[in-house]
Amino acid sequence: MNVGLLLILPFTGAIATFLAGKLNQKYAFYLAELIGFTLFGLVLSIFFSYERPINITIEWFSFGNTTLPFGVYIDHLSLVMLLIATGLGALDIHFSHDYMKDDPDKPRYYAKILFFIGGMILLVTAKELIGLFVGWEFMGLASYLLISFWHQTKDPADAGVAAFLYTKFGDIFLFAALGILYYYTHTLDLQYINLLATWHQIPDNVSFVIAIFIFIAAIGKSGQFPLFPWLMRAMEGPTTVSALIHGATMVNSGIYIVARMFDFYVAAEALVVVAAVASLSAFIGATSALVQNEIKKVLAYSTMSHLSLAFIGLGVGSLSAGMTHLTNHAVFKALLFLGAGAVIMAAHHNKDLFKLGGAWKKLTLVGLFMGIGALSLSGIPPFSGFYSKDAIIAKSILNPQTYGLISTLTVIAGVLSVAYVFRIWLLIFAGKPRDAELHEHIKTPSKFWISLPLGVMALVTFVLGFYQKELSEYITGKELREAHVDYLLPLLLSAIILVGFIVYKFYKSRPDARDKLAAQPLMKSFHKVLLNGYFVERMITWFVKNVVINSVSKTINWIDIHIIDGAVNGMLNLSQKIFTLFNTTHSSKVSNQAGVMILGVLSILVVIFIGSLV
Amino acid sequence: MSYELLIFAPIALSLLIYMPTRNVGGTKYVALALFVYMFIKTIELYKQLPEHGYMLLGKFLEVKAFDFVLTLQVDRLSVIMLLLTSVLLILVTLSSWSLTKKPAAYFSLLIFFSGAIFGMFMSTNFIWFFIFWELTLIPMLFLVGIWGAEGRIYAAVKFFLYTHVASMLILLAFFLIYKQSGTFDMTLVKEAMLTTPALIWWLMFIGFAVKMPLFPFHTWLPDAHVQAPAPVSALLAGVLLKMGAYAMMRMVILLLPAQAEKFAWIFVVLGLLTLLYAGFMALYETHIKKMVAYSSISHMGLIAIAMGAMSYDSLSAALFEMIGHALIISPLFLIAGFLHQKMHTWEMGDMGGIMQKAPYLSAIFVLAGLGALGLPGTMGFIGEITILISAIESFGSWMVVILLGSLISAAYLIWTFRRVIYGEMSEGVKNGNFSMNRVEFFALLVFAFFIILFGVYPQTLFSEINQAFSVYFTGAAL
Repeated sequence: MNVGLLLILPFTGAIATFLAGKLNQKYAFYLAELIGFTLFGLVLSIFFSYERPINITIEWFSFGNTTLPFGVYIDHLSLVMLLIATGLGALDIHFSHDYMKDDPDKPRYYAKILFFIGGMILLVTAKELIGLFVGWEFMGLASYLLISFWHQTKDPADAGVAAFLYTKFGDIFLFAALGILYYYTHTLDLQYINLLATWHQIPDNVSFVIAIFIFIAAIGKSGQFPLFPWLMRAMEGPTTVSALIHGATMVNSGIYIVARMFDFYVAAEALVVVAAVASLSAFIGATSALVQNEIKKVLAYSTMSHLSLAFIGLGVGSLSAGMTHLTNHAVFKALLFLGAGAVIMAAHHNKDLFKLGGAWKKLTLVGLFMGIGALSLSGIPPFSGFYSKDAIIAKSILNPQTYGLISTLTVIAGVLSVAYVFRIWLLIFAGKPRDAELHEHIKTPSKFWISLPLGVMALVTFVLGFYQKELSEYITGKELREAHVDYLLPLLLSAIILVGFIVYKFYKSRPDARDKLAAQPLMKSFHKVLLNGYFVERMITWFVKNVVINSVSKTINWIDIHIIDGAVNGMLNLSQKIFTLFNTTHSSKVSNQAGVMILGVLSILVVIFIGSLV
Repeated sequence: MSYELLIFAPIALSLLIYMPTRNVGGTKYVALALFVYMFIKTIELYKQLPEHGYMLLGKFLEVKAFDFVLTLQVDRLSVIMLLLTSVLLILVTLSSWSLTKKPAAYFSLLIFFSGAIFGMFMSTNFIWFFIFWELTLIPMLFLVGIWGAEGRIYAAVKFFLYTHVASMLILLAFFLIYKQSGTFDMTLVKEAMLTTPALIWWLMFIGFAVKMPLFPFHTWLPDAHVQAPAPVSALLAGVLLKMGAYAMMRMVILLLPAQAEKFAWIFVVLGLLTLLYAGFMALYETHIKKMVAYSSISHMGLIAIAMGAMSYDSLSAALFEMIGHALIISPLFLIAGFLHQKMHTWEMGDMGGIMQKAPYLSAIFVLAGLGALGLPGTMGFIGEITILISAIESFGSWMVVILLGSLISAAYLIWTFRRVIYGEMSEGVKNGNFSMNRVEFFALLVFAFFIILFGVYPQTLFSEINQAFSVYFTGAAL
């Protein structure tokens, strides 16, 4: 009962919200908030009454002899994802009350948000790959619609296109994996597929290819190298949407699917690929985050880097490390994004970090909560981020398969996170205001609508730090065996503190240092590479524009006009010429038409004649 | 009631109704009433059908010396096509509600077309099949040639000639069949009776491939679709192309299964080529209606692949996709035509920001576009996944290449949304008035409703579709 409502409510609720909002803008918010918290309540009720995995299957449709099912499977892993999606989603809706206050399109906004959450619910409760794929595509659609929410202007509209197409590129690999899996196993049940893979019932090379295909889809959704540029472009959308994409829903789905099919990946021996790609992404994300000028872009690159850490956790064979990091990240990243949203809103939609500064006095609560998020993100005990990050780094060092390089990149990415997150915190809250006029106009946000959701998330981040062992045991269902590297903890801590200190000095006491450093030519080009995310987007755009469109499509277009249609037109002209030979007096278009019709009738007669001969 | 009236009543009515209503108006009400009636009758017919095989409706116009009798027989496959056709006719009539140029002639031609197409789906005599097949061309020729856009004459003639020449091949094949089997009745002909089945197969395949259309016989379609008035484009995509696909299924595959098995690769090769080639064409296109036309062709490639797979699953999938294609492409054509009517441009570059002027119209355009790119929740996805699974079943894992077509279609459709629906308003949009006739908008809503309904509950459709093919694969009544 609860499960059915959980699946249906977001979608019917989205429609109801839209319609209610058309009656009165205010209704949209209240209905959406009601539905958001109801969903969270439903998940909580499932959470507390949980005894064994919920397992329901119905027949969706059958074509020919094949029947495709639609099933629901909720276990601990799904429940954690559900709690994240609905809990953070509800807080996000609450936060939107003020953030979207002046927007005239509220009904559309809340309807899309609910649809988004519904997509995630569908995804994480799916028993079969087909249901998962439906949720997966819904998320792609919802993110497209929400990123280009302000469709009237160029940039968000373009960003939506990027988001849809980058993720769609990955999606077709998931679709392909679905097709191939069905061919070999005649089932789409994820638990069963995991078992079949463990028993090696699927040919090894096939399962490896499928694992890679699914990982490509995960790369697209979770913004890993090389399909990450959409994640940064997505910052054009409302900040509440960014929080939802980066914290509660979308990007988690890539990691979820690898975690859901973890046994499959182990059996297919594809985890090392996951770890390798993820470590490269972690490095790219962490270094690029260092130099971004926009507050949201820093957070976007940091999302990429932290999701990579979660992937690395899975990739080095630790389901618990990867998933606890994902959970921790979801909470503190939603907190940071909403905090950033509060700052941006208070600063009249100014996103440039270098215009902010000294906002502590006016935005004390926001600064405090964002500080907690930042501490957690940078991995300082006892905040939650520390434990999972530490576990991932330890596992990556201990794993014999990861050849040093992966663990090195992981450590770099882990330590650099201190630098970029405190860079933004210091630039916003510390020092003196850089733009006096802007500072003058900063207004203190509402306690109930803005600070309360931030405070709740900050509290959860803090409390989660003390329940890491329970969390990982809850997810994996196994007792946690601590991975130990003796020198790691002190080394990591001192590195974090050292980097933190350098950043502090750099941004607090030497405001001109940045300009001096940036003036050096080598630094300049280095800075440019990082600022543009290693030019990955430019390369992909170049390829699509020059190869796919201006070479392949253009050539095909030429062939169509000049050869294929050319032949047809040539024959048409020829027959017209033949006709005008017979009839030279009239050459108007009508007579030509009549002529070709007569020609047609003649050809019928010819065919009948031939037919009677054969 | 005898069902032959479904053919002859419209044909007679179209000639009778024209003169009295030419000056008075109101032909559209007659057309609408007639199509609704035909729809109801078709449902009634469907309910009477036997579990398997054909139901004889009657034999007419018997000629003793020659096997020229008009035999009307229907099975589930043909009645499903009749249902689709009558629904589309109703919606096309509604979509033409605000037509001002010679409405009496326009709707008379539509009525005439309805009679011809019903005849085509109902007759099992090759000659009569052919006569109705060709009769559908005549109203189409005039509908494109009189109500079309700037280059309508060229397009109409090209369309007529191209498909007409192809029909010659079909006719030749029918004569060959008669010569060898001694009957024109397609329910009596068995492949074993034929001495040159390969030749017949190829003649029919090429003849029907033009209508479907498959690469490289597709070039009549973009011209005809672009020049035709929007409702006629929808009719072309929804009914005329389906004639080709239906005939391909009925005669090329089910009538000559052994040959079809032998030449299945040609379906796959041409289907893939059509899918990707038309996809790339659409990607490069800046003309909104041509883009939709190529998208339409691209999907027909998908249907061809499913047909080539020749299994129970794949034919069901193909029929589902045929219905889906009709319901998805039609609203795209209707909206593209509407935009042209209001803005006097075909170039997508000149559009933009229509969402700000006409949000609901834009939403339907986006929904139909998402259907075309195969998003779950729409009919497009069900068609795509069933074709993917059944094609892999028949040809192996490499058939995942058809998903490349899905990626390309996502690219051109999303890029179309960006250029037409989203973004800043262009001058033309700013000054334009996008209010739509309520009846025409209602027709679009019906399309949208079906796209979602059958996307979420495909079983309602599949339970009927499966039954249409079960006879061929479970060996119940062969």
